[in-house]
Order: sequence, then structure tokens, then C-alpha cells
Amino acid sequence: MPIELTDIARLAHILERSGVDTIEIEQPGQSLKLVVDTGPRMAASPTLAAPAPDHSVIAKADVAGHFLAAHPWRDKPFVAPGQRIETGAIVGLVKIGLLYAPIVAPAAGTVDAVIAEPGATVGYGTPIMRIRPLSEGSPIN
Amino acid sequence: MIEILSVTGPASVQDLGRFDQSRFGVGTSGAMDDVALRAGNILLGNDENAAGIEIPMLPFKLRFDRNMAFALTGADVEAEIAGRAIPPWWRSHARAGDILTVKAMPRGARLYLAFGGGIDVPMVLGSRSTQFRGEFGGWHGRPLQPGDILPCAASTTTIGELGVEPAEITLARPNAAADETIVRVVIAGEYDGFDAATQALFWSSSWKITPQSNRYGYRLQGPAVKPKAPIEKRSHGIVPGVIQIPPNGQPIIQMRDAQTSGGYPKIATVIRADLWRVGQARLGSKLRFEQTAYGEALAAEAEMSAYLERLRTNVRLIEEIRTCR
Repeated sequence: MPIELTDIARLAHILERSGVDTIEIEQPGQSLKLVVDTGPRMAASPTLAAPAPDHSVIAKADVAGHFLAAHPWRDKPFVAPGQRIETGAIVGLVKIGLLYAPIVAPAAGTVDAVIAEPGATVGYGTPIMRIRPLSEGSPIN
Repeated sequence: MIEILSVTGPASVQDLGRFDQSRFGVGTSGAMDDVALRAGNILLGNDENAAGIEIPMLPFKLRFDRNMAFALTGADVEAEIAGRAIPPWWRSHARAGDILTVKAMPRGARLYLAFGGGIDVPMVLGSRSTQFRGEFGGWHGRPLQPGDILPCAASTTTIGELGVEPAEITLARPNAAADETIVRVVIAGEYDGFDAATQALFWSSSWKITPQSNRYGYRLQGPAVKPKAPIEKRSHGIVPGVIQIPPNGQPIIQMRDAQTSGGYPKIATVIRADLWRVGQARLGSKLRFEQTAYGEALAAEAEMSAYLERLRTNVRLIEEIRTCR
């Protein structure tokens, strides 16, 4: 489905209202990046791409807010390095207003490292956690 | 539909309550923590008055017999569906055959389970709430039992997992000690029937919630609070939140399944904005009363409404962002 001008206007409006400064949309054959100029910007979270030969997968935030490693009612973080997790497991939360949006593991594997600092401001696509997939080492490529 | 597999204690179907029936002597019933039930329904895009299940004791287990969205709010619990742990105040999606297991309740006293579309039991006198006293409403007017199969209204579209900030965090009050809940009250009709020292005792005491506390009322234990002279009144109308002083001087807070009338002297009334906090106070824990004025009670209610309004706006906004993507 092509992205219409009216969609872009609507998105821009939502961004403005929610105080989110960037949104990226990727679809087969097209991509869109909207940046709202909100004046003095905080240090943008660099897109820490994993080193090329690394087969690890990255769990990313899919909404802008603050990263929470544990639910505020719990002492223990959702996951710890070395822990085995399944695809879709909740590895952390992004707090946006009163919402807690889940950050999920894109693949089953072992938690390698928590990249984001608890409490840090994250944006769409910010890497949160590095996961060593189960299939690592097997010659699938 | 959902099937109850295992239940401990009186779990029941509740919506926000049955109002405007006091003239027939029918109390409100409804969720003891109405803020939690509303939050669950907001997460699911339901009418906020949609019926859910109130669960005061664990373990509890149920099976979904079709794909369905559900939300879990109220007490903090250890819950699992199809092997996945569910965080507090969370909505998730069940597939047909999935079993939801709730094991422990480390915080709070009542868990609320809301379902996409709500539990579709008949409305009786304007509500789906179970009326324990009259044995009507809810599921055949009684607590849930293993084997009960509850019908659910048609669920809406598939929705992603999402959590919201528990009311207890957003609406946190300066609490004296752990395991003590401070609730705001306004003084009631017979307050002046107690002398100053007794009134002071009422305010300064830490009241223990005895095991004789439930949806009908909470019986508290502490120093005897007795009026200057015995007060004998004819039965008159009372509402949930009223704190009565029976002859033994041990206060009773009337709760959701309270009678609509009573004759004991009333020393104070818990404000509506704090009634849910009483509903989440655990047996054996302590309650303390803080005197407040009518204006402050309204302000507290506005604060509670603002929290719910922010939930509605935030949930709508993230749905919009996700749809656009």
C-alpha cells in the first residue's frame, strides 16, 4: 500500500502531539523517515549496528520513550545475560506516558548483553539487547 | 468462551456496579477495585463497564476456548499463559486451548481479569455484577466454580501486548510504613457523638484488617472507640465506604456488597477516590484514616479521573501509531 500524503500529514500530527521526534517506516519498495524539529535535541541515540561478522540478533525498541529493564513492581529485570529466551519473550519495556510497551526477542537464543541503560531515552529502532541465536555456529548461511 | 479450571475462594463476575437500586434495598456490588477493572477494559478497548472476573485468592486457572484478548490488572500476581510470564497490568492474547495460570499474589488483594468484549452474562437490574446477598447477577448469582463456562461477547481485532502503569504508582500516596494503607475519609453523621480523646484515637490508630473482612465489609481491630453515650439510631441508608462503630468499638467499613441500610453510628466515610485502596488492602495488614474535607475529596476524585483519562488517551495514541506503521 503506497504511503499517501495524507498519511504523512497524519503521522506528523501524531508525532507533534506525542512529543516523539522521529519515525521510520519501512515497507517493501518504500521507506519513510519523518523528523520533527523540536528545537534543542538531546543526544540522539546512535544506531549501534552490530559488527558485520557477528551473527547476533538485536532486540529493538519500536516506540520512543524510556527503557525499563524491570517492571517497577519487580526487583528482577525481565532477563539477565546468559539467560535462554524464546522468540517473542519480553526482554524489557519502553515507558511512554502511562504505557509500558514490550520489547520482544526477535529470535530464540541466549541473552548476550543488555545494550541500553535502564532509564535511557530510546527511540524507534534503538538497539536494546544483543541475543546470540540458537542457530549460531551451525552453517546455515 | 472461557472455562474455569481451578478456583480458590469467592471469585466472581463483576462490572462497575448496580447503581440506582438502593430504593429496593439492592446494594451496588461491583468491582472492589473499580480503577483496576476500568484500566483492564481501557487496555482492551472495551466499554469500561464491561464485566470481568474479580479474584481474591489464588491459585486460579482457566482455559480459553477461542482466540481472545485479555487483560490482567489489580493485584500484582505471578501469572503465566502457555508458558509465558505475564507482567502486572498487562494485556495479552490467548489462542484457543491456552491455559492461564495465576499462582501467587505478592502485592494487593484482588486480581481483575478482563476479556475482549467482556463477559456476556445477562444484565440484572442494570448490571452484570454478582449480588452475593441476593444471589442474582453475574454467573447464576454465585461465586465461580471449576467447570463453569463463561460466555464472552465477540472480541474485536487482534491487539498487541501492552502494559499500563498501575494506579498505585501514578496515584501513590505518602505511606507511613510498608503494609499500612492510608485512606482519606470525611467525618460522618455521628462523629460528634465521640469525645475529643476518642476521636483522636480513631485518627492515630493503626487498624488491623481482620480475617472477617470481605466484599460485604471490613472488620477492623484496634483500641475500642466508643461514643460518649450509647447511640441508638433507626436503620437508615448507608453506602460503601461508610465506617460504622458497633457497640464493641471496633470499626466496620461497609464495602461493595454492604446492606443498603444500617443503624450503627457512623464516625466517618472513606472517600470514593480511595475506596479502591481499601479493596486492595490485604487481610492482616493495617489501615490508617486521614481526615479530609469535601473539597479535597473532590480533588482526589479529579486526580483519579485524570489518571484514567491519560490511560484512554495514551492507549488510543499508541494504537494510532501502530496502525500508521
